[in-house]
Amino acid sequence: MNKIIILLFMLTGFTDVEVKSDQIITRQGQTSFFSYTSVENIEAKNNQVLSIIDLSKHKIAVSMLMNAFVFKKSLMHEHFNESYIESDLYPKATFEGDIIDFDPLAPGTQIKIIKGDLTIHGITKEVEIKTTIENNNGNYLLTGDFEVAVKDFDIKIPPILAPNIAKTISITFRFEYQPYEK
Amino acid sequence: MKNKTRLLVCFFILIGFGISINAQDLLETLENEYPDTPQYEFATFKASRISIGHSIETRKKGVLEIQAFNRFWNIPNYRAQSFVADKLSARLALEYGISDRLTFGAGGSTLDGIFDGFLKYKLIQQRSDGKGSPLSITLFQNGSYRSKRNQPFPDVNRFDEFSDKLAFTSQLLIARKFTPQFSVQVSPTYIHRSSSVFGEDPNNQFAIGLGGRYKLGGHVSVVSEYYYVINPLKSIDTYDAFSLGVNWELSDVMLQFQLTNTRAMVEDAFITQTPNNFNFKDGNFVFGFNAIFVLHLSQKKP
Repeated sequence: MNKIIILLFMLTGFTDVEVKSDQIITRQGQTSFFSYTSVENIEAKNNQVLSIIDLSKHKIAVSMLMNAFVFKKSLMHEHFNESYIESDLYPKATFEGDIIDFDPLAPGTQIKIIKGDLTIHGITKEVEIKTTIENNNGNYLLTGDFEVAVKDFDIKIPPILAPNIAKTISITFRFEYQPYEK
Repeated sequence: MKNKTRLLVCFFILIGFGISINAQDLLETLENEYPDTPQYEFATFKASRISIGHSIETRKKGVLEIQAFNRFWNIPNYRAQSFVADKLSARLALEYGISDRLTFGAGGSTLDGIFDGFLKYKLIQQRSDGKGSPLSITLFQNGSYRSKRNQPFPDVNRFDEFSDKLAFTSQLLIARKFTPQFSVQVSPTYIHRSSSVFGEDPNNQFAIGLGGRYKLGGHVSVVSEYYYVINPLKSIDTYDAFSLGVNWELSDVMLQFQLTNTRAMVEDAFITQTPNNFNFKDGNFVFGFNAIFVLHLSQKKP
């Protein structure tokens, strides 16, 4: 009986250790978006994106504050938050999904599809994102880019400004992860 | 043995706990990872004026605004060939954000020849995360110089020396953004006029302004403003300033339209010396139009 108890102890101990090293996190992830039109180029960058990966379950989550995007012009920041993305009502953009066929132990670079739900402006859309995953001795780096259509997320653009804002916005990201300790 | 089974149960519960903690949603985990940085309300109002009077908004650092404020009105029983309006007054001005909190502005009005300069300092910002201040407070101080007599209205100040033509306005602008659409501002105002023609007129006057904004959409809002003067001038009949307007913001341009009874565009003049009440009769009704163009002189690197 005592042996069983010791075994259980060890088991719980093991699972704890495993769980700790199983999740990796970034608190300074970078996400940028670009809107290129002949009238105006708009770009913004957020350096405080949070992301976490559960290596055993191949799951990933991303969360960011919309008002943390930095623009070239301060007025763009105000318009983006107040008139377009309405960050009073929808302060965050989030993503939650699965890394398909992910092998956490494989060293070097692998290119995988991440499939999941992207929520911007309170509207959730299923997206597939081709992502480059670099594994340097357990330090993971995820990079990639994808495009979203403005109209998919119910962002209203007045007709007079339609030429200034692209129909599809390209988004790039770069997340460098560290082991997650609670 | 019984003890041991209890122990075992305890362990299973513990393991269960462990699993349930680990099974926590990844997004929820991230939710707790946000650093505790203060979040401030922004864009309580958009432009530096609610409609006719100053709002709590200051310009961001390195932003230069080029402003043209216009007021149009008709003269009663006036036989003129003028198009749309008999009279026009315009105030051309520049406003510059010295820092994110401090704005400097200066301008000149055509018809009444008032030149003015002001400083505006954002003292307290309303927090949007429920902590900290529930209000935004901005300090405003201006000085104005009357270069012309105020024809056809009687002048209340002397025009003998330079210092006779000066007036100073101090305001404490207090505002709260109640919802993303609705903001209200209360502005206690102190106005000092350096000289008086008539002894009965007070040189120091107090007023309270009340203004509000309601957003109709992403870019359009309805605004209204009213200034109540506590101790008005006695030598001439004056009325409280009122305005009802629409603001329209587009990219680098902000347009403000207003129906008002004020012709002047500088605080001391329109708050204490508006000679007519608000109605739609010729001579009393004034249509106003502010055009603001925003230039970013220093741009951030995203």
